[in-house]
This record gives sequence, structure tokens and C-alpha cells, in this order.
Amino acid sequence: MNFGKRIVLLLVVLAVLTGSAFAQKKPTIVIMPKLVGIPYFNASETGANQAAKDLGINVIYTGPTTADASEQVRMLEDLISKGVDAICVAPNDPAAVAPVLKKAKAAGIVVLDWDTPADKALVDLSVHQIDDKVFGEHVWDCLVKEMGATGDYAIITGGLSAANLNGWIDAGLAYAKVKYPKLRLVTDKVASDEKQQMAYQKALDLIKAYPNLKGIIGMSTPAPLGAAQAVQEKGLKAKIAVVGTALPTSSRPFLEDGSLRVANLWDPSKLGYLTVYLANELVKHKKPVNGMDVPNIGKITILADGKTVIMAPPTDFTKENAKNYTF
Amino acid sequence: MRNAAIGKFIQRFKNKEAFLFLVFLLLFALMSVISPGRFLTWRNLQSMASQFPEFGIFAIAMMVVVVSGGINLSITFTAALASIVGGILLSRMSAAGIAPALVLLAAIPTMLVVALACGALNGLVIASIGVAPMLATLGTMTLFEGICLNITKGGSIAGFPDAFLWFGAGSILGLPFPLILFIVVAVASYFIMERSAFGLKAYMIGCNPTVSAYSGINVKKVLYGVYLFSGLLCALAGLLMSSRYNSAKESYGSSYLMLGISAAVLGGTDIAGGYGKVVGTVIAVMILQVISTGLNIFGVNRYIINVIMGGILILVLGLNLIGSRGKKTS
Repeated sequence: MNFGKRIVLLLVVLAVLTGSAFAQKKPTIVIMPKLVGIPYFNASETGANQAAKDLGINVIYTGPTTADASEQVRMLEDLISKGVDAICVAPNDPAAVAPVLKKAKAAGIVVLDWDTPADKALVDLSVHQIDDKVFGEHVWDCLVKEMGATGDYAIITGGLSAANLNGWIDAGLAYAKVKYPKLRLVTDKVASDEKQQMAYQKALDLIKAYPNLKGIIGMSTPAPLGAAQAVQEKGLKAKIAVVGTALPTSSRPFLEDGSLRVANLWDPSKLGYLTVYLANELVKHKKPVNGMDVPNIGKITILADGKTVIMAPPTDFTKENAKNYTF
Repeated sequence: MRNAAIGKFIQRFKNKEAFLFLVFLLLFALMSVISPGRFLTWRNLQSMASQFPEFGIFAIAMMVVVVSGGINLSITFTAALASIVGGILLSRMSAAGIAPALVLLAAIPTMLVVALACGALNGLVIASIGVAPMLATLGTMTLFEGICLNITKGGSIAGFPDAFLWFGAGSILGLPFPLILFIVVAVASYFIMERSAFGLKAYMIGCNPTVSAYSGINVKKVLYGVYLFSGLLCALAGLLMSSRYNSAKESYGSSYLMLGISAAVLGGTDIAGGYGKVVGTVIAVMILQVISTGLNIFGVNRYIINVIMGGILILVLGLNLIGSRGKKTS
């Protein structure tokens, strides 16, 4: 096998020769969403790429194809090996990414979470689009405005471990216990794993199981659309009020016929832009300050813990204004 | 004519496994060349050495069953169930303030026992009742998934003591613990399957179960042993995953089922049973790992990586087939 041995030797020599390190001039920032391929995260990708262009840096926007925490961990491990300057992740499960974020920090990489929080002790900054308590309470206020303060309602959420969704739901439930005591949650929150089809299926099941259902809250952008689809199909849009987090363009058909009453969200591309901007500031060793003005975003708030960044108050998308938005 | 030439090239290698090793070296060199200074680094080698063992153990768990003429579709949910039950112990006992050492001492054997129970169920349905392995393990796979979902309601189990993370992140003498565990598993599997009477019987059953039975082999006992062993390996894979991901969920590792079958087959295991070497499976696992990490580092789109893995699988299997045909004609 002389010939085989020769090939092996040649290849090993080649590999070792090219193993020398190359200096990287432009900072590289990784933005990892919960998953790729849904409109919300496609919109944040646009914002992130715009920031890359404006700031003159490299942005790698990548994520798993399903909302899978273990896939995120494996991708992050490879990206740490690749040698990046900052990692911004929207974790599907904060506990699952804790070990790999520890590894990133040990490698000297700036770590941020965005859209949904990871373990606060492990991140340098936590970029939130909105104050979680304010948002949760606002969604419940919208629900009550549509269905009234008494009656049965259900919650369809995205992934059960997503800290952002759980934060809004817990805040909303605590608020409703005090302010709307006559609202009755019929069952524990139901998962739809960021899949509109699954939300649609679960909504149909809820409608069948609880005939007195008057409202559905959808948390995570595919959920209200799936619920609205179910309500529309069953012709129950006058009876059941669907509200929740959704993008104006994808909600428009449901808003127009009333199967979705109102969608609460913000501009995800702004969130992507802000995350890249802040990560770049940290890479340059510049700590962001409370009330600073970020180009294209506006004034941001940083909470007393020095880590939590709040972008802006939420926007309500309704039948009337949905057409004014492009995301 | 061309087939004979390719066949002759492949025959230069003593066997399929040597050819596979060359493919691995080629791919390793290729990945190093396209990402200079980033693939061939100590950090990346350690990172890969932590990633592939969970997959590798699943691949071996699949291989030992396939050589006996069966298949085990329930490997990933066996691991998930074991890690979920163990995880509940880990988090509840930890929250109750019990010392980490005791918590681990309780949880880890529990994981092994749960997985062995799963393996025993497989053995019962396949060996005692006589259901075809594919159907039986399809059933047990769904059963285990259902039990997992019933326990977790779709969420994940978290709250593990920090000490537990050592299994996924710790190292001994510079070698990550997952790698050490994998080496132990691979060597043990080699001796159990290829160097013992039990293993020989498993291969014989894979070749022809009827003849084996008439030759005086206790087919039932051997099959039980095979599925129990497979289950035990799944527990170890589950241990690694729950430590690396600091949580337990029914969906962790679900992609490893198809990948495990691919690795076993790529490694030269005959899907009909009767042939398969541990070393072949190990090299196949390393090939798939190198492709995945190498392309991730190079920056290839997620979706294309799967296409490439499938392409390499087909290429190597095709070349193997041509090589074996070449041997027959020459």
C-alpha cells in the first residue's frame, strides 16, 4: 500500500502547513435566532445584515431549522471553534445553552442574549425588545378589551422552555389574578413550538374541548396566526377573540376579517439591528449607557442591573394600521 | 471497464475499513485546508472530541443490533427516557439540598436501570414474542416517547447540580470525558461483539437465525443480550447529552436515529445482518463529524450540509459496492 501511504503523507503535510493562523481584521459577530425560516426571524436577519453594512463588520446570522436547543448548542460549539468575536443567541432553552456560553466566555468571546433571555450571570448584555412585565400586562389588557373581563380563555405558546414567552405569560397571569379575577384560564399553556400548523391544530382541539371558550392568547409569532386560522375555519370569529404576538404583514388577512383582533409586537428588524450594534460596542470595549441614542433605533433604556437593555414600547397592529408596515 | 478499474483501486486496500479510513483522512485534510488556522486547532479538536461521542455511542448501539439481523429504532427515546428520569432525580434531589455526590450516585445508576428496562422490553417483544425488530422497536420508540412527553409535558427538565456538568465538559489529562467514555465503549463493544462467544452468536443469528437455532444457539438469550446491551449504550449516550445540554428533553438526540443508521451502514455494517465491525462504525462517525464541523466552520449553509452528508454516504457505499463487484470478477 505504498501508494496509499504516499497520499496520506502528502495530505497530512498539506494540512499542517496550512494550519497557521490568519489574522482577522473585521470583527465577526454571530447572531443566532431560536430558529431560522419564520418571518419574525427573517425580519431580524434583515436588520442584522443592515447593521453589518452600516458598521462595516461581519455578521453571521445562523440558527437551527427547528426550535431545538440541542442543535443550537452544537452550532455554537462549532462557531466558538471558528473563532468569532461575539455571540448573540436567542436560546430555546436557557439551561441548555449555559455550558456552551460558559465555554464562549472562557474563550474571551463577548456573549449577549437577544429576544429571549439566557442565564443573566453568563451574558454581558441582555437585549430585550420590551419590558417583559409591561408587555405581558398589555397583551392581557388587549384580550379583555376584545372579549370582556369575564369568560374562559386559553394560551397557546411557542416553546415551553422559551424564557421570553414564559416571562410575558407569567407577568400577564399575575396581573390578571389581581385586575381581572373573573377571567378563567381553562388549561395550562399549550405549546406550538413556533409552528403555525401546530398552533392551528391545538386551537382546534381547544375549541372542541372547551365550548365556552371566549378568547385565545397566542404567544410567539406563529401562534396567533394558527389560532386565527382555526377560528376563521370554524366561523367563530365573532365568538372567540384571538390576540397575541404577530407581525403586521402576516397578520393582515386575519386582522381584516376579524379572526385575529389585534397583534402586539415591535419591529424585529430593529431588534436585530440593535443587537448587532450593541455587540459591536462591547467588542470595541465600549459599554453602552442608559438613555444612549442608537442610530436608526432611538433612545434605549438600560436597567439598574447594568445588563438588561430595553428597546422601546410595543406597537399594536390592527385592521386599520397593518398595511402601513413592511415587516 | 471503468468499474473494474475503480474496483482495482479499492482492492489496493485490505478491506472496506481501510478505505474508509483513507476517506476520513482525505476529508480531515480537506476541512483543514479550506479553513486554515481554524479547523486544525487544539480547541477545535477538543470541541469535536466532545461532540461526536454521543452520536458515536448511538451508532454503536445501532450497529450491535443490526449485525444480529435486527434494527433498534427506539435508541434515541430510550436515551431520552433514561435521561429524563435521571434528570428528575438530579433536579429534585439537588433542590432538596442533598450533597451532589449522593445525587449523582442515585441518578446515574437510575439512568442505566431505566435504559436496561427499555432494552428488556425490546428483547421481550422481539425475542420472546417474535415480532419483527423494525415493527417492535417502532412500537417501543413511540411508547417511550409517549412516556417522556407524559412526564415532561413537552418541556425540559433542568436544575442539575453543577457537578453533573463534568461529564460533558470535564477532561482527564487533556482528553474530554465524552471522548474517554466513547473509547471505553468502543473497545468494550469490540471485545463483546468481535472477540467473544456471545458476539459470534449474534453475528451468526444475523446471518441466518434458523440455521443458528438448529446449530444449538439459544437465539432468544442472545437477542435479549443484544437489545439489553444496546439499551445500556443508549443510557450512556443519554448521560452525555443531558450533561452537555444541562437539561433533559424528549427531543434531544432525535436526529441521531437516522444518523446512527447512516453511520453504521457507512461503516460497512450489512443492514441485513451478519457483518459489521466496530472500527468501521467509529471511522464513519468521525467522517460525519468532520464534515459537519468542517462545513460549519467554513460557513456553509445549514441546509446544504445535510445534502453533502447524504452525497458522501451514497458515494462511499457506491464505491464499496463497485469494489466488491470488482473482487468477484477479477
